Amino acid sequence: MRILFVIDKRINAGSIRAVASYVSAADRMGHTIAVYGSPDSSLPKVRFSVEPDRFDFVVFILESKLNWLSGLRVARILRTVPHERRVVLDADGLYNDIVSLGDYDRNHASIAERNRWREACDRLGSRIFQPTLTPLDPRIKPLLFYGYAPEEEARAEDPSGKTVDIVHLSHNWWRWKELEELLLPAVGRMRERIGEICFLGLWWDGCPPWAAALGLTEAFRVDQARLKSLRITVRPPVPFTQVISAMSSGKVNIMTQRPLFQRLGIITSKYFEIFCADTVPLALIGPELAQSVYGPAGRDLTLNGQIEQRLLAALETPEHFRGSVQQVREHLRTHHSYQTRVQQLVAALEA
Amino acid sequence: MNILFISKLSQFARSVLPISKYVEMGKQLGHRVALYGEQTNEPPQLPYSLDAKVFDVAIFVVYESWDFPDMPYLAQLLDGVPRERRFIIDCCGRYNDTVRVEHDFNHLEKMDGHQGWEWVEGFEAVADTILQPTRKPLRTNVRSFLWHAFDPASVAKPYQTEQEAVEAWSNSDRNSKPYAMTYVGHNWQRWTQIRGLLEGVQPLSADFGPIAIAGSDWEKRPEWAAQLGLQGVDVDPELFARARVQPRPPIPFQEMIAFMSQGRFSPVVQRPLFNELGFVTNRIFATFCADTIPLLMLSKELVESIYGPSAEPLRIDQDVKDHISQILRNPAPYWKAVLDTRKYLAVHHTFQHRFQQLLGILEGKA
Repeated sequence: MRILFVIDKRINAGSIRAVASYVSAADRMGHTIAVYGSPDSSLPKVRFSVEPDRFDFVVFILESKLNWLSGLRVARILRTVPHERRVVLDADGLYNDIVSLGDYDRNHASIAERNRWREACDRLGSRIFQPTLTPLDPRIKPLLFYGYAPEEEARAEDPSGKTVDIVHLSHNWWRWKELEELLLPAVGRMRERIGEICFLGLWWDGCPPWAAALGLTEAFRVDQARLKSLRITVRPPVPFTQVISAMSSGKVNIMTQRPLFQRLGIITSKYFEIFCADTVPLALIGPELAQSVYGPAGRDLTLNGQIEQRLLAALETPEHFRGSVQQVREHLRTHHSYQTRVQQLVAALEA
Repeated sequence: MNILFISKLSQFARSVLPISKYVEMGKQLGHRVALYGEQTNEPPQLPYSLDAKVFDVAIFVVYESWDFPDMPYLAQLLDGVPRERRFIIDCCGRYNDTVRVEHDFNHLEKMDGHQGWEWVEGFEAVADTILQPTRKPLRTNVRSFLWHAFDPASVAKPYQTEQEAVEAWSNSDRNSKPYAMTYVGHNWQRWTQIRGLLEGVQPLSADFGPIAIAGSDWEKRPEWAAQLGLQGVDVDPELFARARVQPRPPIPFQEMIAFMSQGRFSPVVQRPLFNELGFVTNRIFATFCADTIPLLMLSKELVESIYGPSAEPLRIDQDVKDHISQILRNPAPYWKAVLDTRKYLAVHHTFQHRFQQLLGILEGKA
């Protein structure tokens, strides 16, 4: 099958890493996957094409915005590819009814906004997929888009050689509340027993100036004084090609997920990248969700309800976690590789 | 006829003036003209609609790729209005092979992310009929439609004779005309011409007066231009100081004629690309509404084809200093040229003419 992805080509966010893995996995399986656009020297592993009519399906990968979709390109794709051969991956769950969590995280600020998003999806594609096992809306089909790339597993090194104790690699986008309520108090109580803690990503140094006009200041909320008092270092985001090496610089990596995604059961690329890194991954998600994605050993690598104990144990006796990490990696290789994802995508498109 | 325009409006740029005038003309002539979008309270007050199906035609007025609406609105239009009833007015010559003139261009991927072919194929995906504001489109499948026009009702001082004009112009004081020269336009691919003009006026006597230039990016070369390595958006602060240039921020289109009228002269300059393509713009017509003597820095061919035979004396065909000095010494023939050209424009190039021409094209009669 020939599949063309239409994607916002952001180098330090979004789905570009997954797409690169899809391209190579599809090649190995006799399918062809490409990204709409001209060849990009910064993405040497990604195949590009500007001929949508030469593909069996076009998949629009939508995250949180639509304005990156150039009218010139959309018009051309809509004209040359019939509606039934176009689908949408609604990566951030915006096709759902309004979901608002404790007046903090939400998928839409208004019904009008939701309607616009839905209409855009419906006009772009004949089917809507979301990267969740449990879609809330019957019109949405589940499709775990992001996957595990075993070939990117980092080589294990002596943890004592690592300069950073804890890495948290994520943009500050609807994450502060959970950090403030759960993680930071625990860190504060044992700060003297932990070395460097580093947050890598956008907006940990403050809310961007354009957020207020969009009513999104809460999404970027951050208390820099608190970060400073906890001696948490803030560093800029890394390009997708350096995500795993950046994660591997930490003895422990913490994965957090915005509340909306937890509610929708959305499985992001971070779920899998963190297991490619040479680190002890600890996820701030519930044990059931961890087990559903990672297998039984995933329960041992969650932080819920036992943040202090798990963090300290991972830092002080990382060898005790090695077995769980290996079991999870094995589970991911079997159930969540990009080869599996390509099979699932092809099956979903053929359905 | 019900006509729906699609374009991103700004009070400070692009086609806000002609679209406002076409709305006005539509009302006068019994047609419904509206803009695609949600009703807004932003000036100018124009009728908006999102119900594309009730319109007979949809006309995309395109300068930039973002003149096409975001999703889902673009798809609403493409799904709701049959292709043969969709038109594009291509205001920047995008629907051509890539053209480079001096440092100007119609396509540049590093500027807007689109290669030349994307403009061409994108336009073809949207509409069957593409119009360009030039007498001589390069492509045979493009139709000529000048789009921009002259509004006689907007003439600031409708002098009856050149003597009357000369008297008012020569006796204008510093309050009514504080500037020797005014120019309204953004610093985008106009620097070469503006620099030539400023260098030309420098040798004039010190009492020539200050020059006001209103538009974006005249204070300094913008960072984005430096980052992209673009020429044609430069400034020279020393030359500005010598020529007593006062850069001003952009002004809304409603204030453009009054602003130009504050100067005794006002240049009409075009991007090199537009000169090459023979494109016309707002400024070609609006400058003749201002109480000023236009300095036409345009080709002889364009001047004759748009302004008629009387405008030739207003064209700078020699040294700038000599041209201006002659006008200062003996303004009457030049004001006669201005008034005769206004008459010519009123006969051939009003928005009423344009509206009728547009109807002819839309109805397949022209």
